[in-house]
Amino acid sequence: MVRKGIKDKVAIIGCDMTKYGELWDKNQYDLLFEAFQSTLKDTGIEKDEIDASWIGIFYYFTGLSGAMVEDILRMDGKPSTRVENYCASGMDAFRNASFAIASGAYDVALACGVEKLMDEGGSGLPGFKIFGHPLYPTPSAPAMFSMAATRSFHEYGWTKEDLARVAVKNHDNGADHPKAHFRSRITIDQVMRAPMIADPLGRFDCCAMSDGAAALILTRPELAESYAHADDYILVKANAISCQTNFPWYVPPGGPGAEFTHFPATEKAGEYAYKEAGITNPRKEIDCAEVHDCFTITELLNCQDLQFCERGQSAEELKNGTFNYDGEIAINPSGGLKSFGHPIGSTGCRMLTEITKQLQGRAEGRQVPDAKIGLCHNLGGAFTVCSVTILGQRD
Amino acid sequence: MIGIKSYGAYLPKYLLPRELIGKAWEFPIVPGTKAVAMADEDSLTMAVEAGLDCLAGNDPKSVDGLFFASTTQVYTEKDSASLIATVLDMREDIITSDFTDSLKAGTTAVTRAVDTIKANKDIKSILVIAADTRTPEPSTMWEYGFADGAAALLIADEDNIPLSIEDYYSVSANVTGPWKRTDKDKFIRTFEPKMDAKFYIENITKVMAEVLKRNNLKPEDIGAAAYYYSNPRLHGRIAKMMKYPGGVAQNSLFFQIGDVGTPMPFMLLIGALRRPKEDSKIIMAGFGDGADAILMHVRDRNALRDLGKNRMGFLGHQKSMIILKNYNKFLDFKEIIEKDRYTRKSSAVTIWRDTASVYKWYGLKCKECGAIQYPDMLRSCYICRADDQFERVKLDLKGTIFTFTLDHLVGGTYLDTPVPRCVIDLDGGGRVLLNMTEIEKPEENVKIGMRVELTFRKEHESADFKNYYWKCRPERGKP
Repeated sequence: MVRKGIKDKVAIIGCDMTKYGELWDKNQYDLLFEAFQSTLKDTGIEKDEIDASWIGIFYYFTGLSGAMVEDILRMDGKPSTRVENYCASGMDAFRNASFAIASGAYDVALACGVEKLMDEGGSGLPGFKIFGHPLYPTPSAPAMFSMAATRSFHEYGWTKEDLARVAVKNHDNGADHPKAHFRSRITIDQVMRAPMIADPLGRFDCCAMSDGAAALILTRPELAESYAHADDYILVKANAISCQTNFPWYVPPGGPGAEFTHFPATEKAGEYAYKEAGITNPRKEIDCAEVHDCFTITELLNCQDLQFCERGQSAEELKNGTFNYDGEIAINPSGGLKSFGHPIGSTGCRMLTEITKQLQGRAEGRQVPDAKIGLCHNLGGAFTVCSVTILGQRD
Repeated sequence: MIGIKSYGAYLPKYLLPRELIGKAWEFPIVPGTKAVAMADEDSLTMAVEAGLDCLAGNDPKSVDGLFFASTTQVYTEKDSASLIATVLDMREDIITSDFTDSLKAGTTAVTRAVDTIKANKDIKSILVIAADTRTPEPSTMWEYGFADGAAALLIADEDNIPLSIEDYYSVSANVTGPWKRTDKDKFIRTFEPKMDAKFYIENITKVMAEVLKRNNLKPEDIGAAAYYYSNPRLHGRIAKMMKYPGGVAQNSLFFQIGDVGTPMPFMLLIGALRRPKEDSKIIMAGFGDGADAILMHVRDRNALRDLGKNRMGFLGHQKSMIILKNYNKFLDFKEIIEKDRYTRKSSAVTIWRDTASVYKWYGLKCKECGAIQYPDMLRSCYICRADDQFERVKLDLKGTIFTFTLDHLVGGTYLDTPVPRCVIDLDGGGRVLLNMTEIEKPEENVKIGMRVELTFRKEHESADFKNYYWKCRPERGKP
């Protein structure tokens, strides 16, 4: 839904993130503290200049309520809210902070996200024994997305090798990123031979369990001139969310997403965001994008749903190099979730940090040449919640 | 006239060759196979299967009662009959009762059904279902015999009853024969099998002889005799003692299926009904702390034969069974091997509130656009977005796979994986997500477009009660 929107009303004046990985010796407080401190440093301000905070946390065991910010950062009792919206939690925290800035309610706001997954063990996302109805099947996260892969193989003629190319590309990008969880390049053959997690998705088709945190500081553009990134602050061009059902497997034929070959949440959030940003040809106008690649199939379908290519063409475009970091539109130049893992509450803020730095020409891993407009995208739940943010350079 | 209006049976998918038991324990090898239920099956789920089979072509709402007979009922406080009747979508103003603790519970339930119908003008029909999952103690000779299965008989008072019940005769007799203490025993115990056999022979022949005598019948007047037996030698002795002509005593069960306990006389009867002689008499007898003999009369041979055509019955199931290749799998099915089992959060409250959806298998039909959907926890139409325009509709138990995956990551526990998760378009409308059971080599055999049927199974035992729900399986008979 787009009314007036917030295009060019919010500026990112600083951002950073922790290293991502199996950070056994750190807790969620350490992670958030470190991301926050380096973000403060990047912004060049003191914490007392922050008026209000929004924090993305998915799991209750990472932390409850906005008090997570207070406990870790001692903000002297200032407003703080925890945001939970599946894998879009972090980006939705950013969205809420953006609205607060755009409205003029606050001058400086913190958007951050953290998740501490590894304390629960690394055997897939925890909580599936607690969530939901006692009897209706609760497929694991890879199982949910696999059902889209099975159907896409059937409809588009894609193969496991087509999926493997996503993993190979993203790990190739991530190998250059100092903060990535995984920094090894892999081959198609390795992906194909890996053990199955949820057919047809094998181990390398799935993002890993990781820990991490990221933070961004926002203000209004007219105030941004007085901070460290006065010359290269980044503007929010659009920020959209679409929510679809929690239960796509119950959508009767003819209903949204019943085909299992596209994600209506991504399509809608993309449409809203493009309208708000005034983008009419995403493939031409967007230079780089962090696109949710929790599973390889997710990236392929999202690229179509975000109108980077025609339906059914993603695998071919990927094969042709369209989505390489030096291709027509760089998809996951950071290495994506495949290289960073997916500490859920933090991922949206990590993507926003990545794209901010790409547009500032200071990407930590692979720099996309001449990137001016970038997009961040999360898709969470059972293709349920999608968040799309478009960022651009200041004039 | 009171008699048997319909029948149904259920045999699990797998047969364990007795040779594998012999090899596992270095026992003398015994020929044949036995029926083995999977870990997600128990007496209650098998009873549902047999009940569905029996009610094929009958409106479940027209039946006035359900009696469940078993020695392996899943609860001791809380009955099974009410839950089975719910899943079968029977009315609430019916009588339900469990008959338990004796192997003759099945035949006893039939006699009580006959008496109840005779005594009560409002009760015209009672569905009697017998089921047992007989778990033997490993490395004992019980392992060769004990098997799993269920069978159902619809007892009704109607003009055109194809098989009338003419008379019954019962004895009660106490001996500490095979037993299982409620508080202590997981497996059946016995003191002296030779005395158990003597007791069995005396009682089962006594009731059959008495019912013949009371009705001025001679053994040669009997077309089929379906009596419980726990081993084939004893069966032959009984046939001889009763002077039944050759082929009358039904012995088709033990060699392939084994000793299924309470449903055994029903199954033997159902087997005999494939080729009934017009106007012939049939005896069915059960044994356990006494015995029952029930005398029946074939009134409509063609109607009985037709019953066999539109249900799986005993033969249909028997034909679609496959061999279990591994003894360990059997121990796993029986949950004898100690390992973690899948659990999750549960709530008796949620399940009760969702009875129509989770047990009776109802969905919703949108009065605005006609779309059928599931489950019934939502209030707004997926297709036309109309609010509160739903009416409940009964969903089909068959469908086609739209998409699927094989989930290796079940609750992060990797137990009994992969679990096939199947998105199914039901015949007649509605899309559902169900786990698949009874699937061999899922990597090769689960496919888009595959036909599946629903089966009621135990999902888990969270919150310390039995959590049942529907699963799908490849159509039985089409492996």
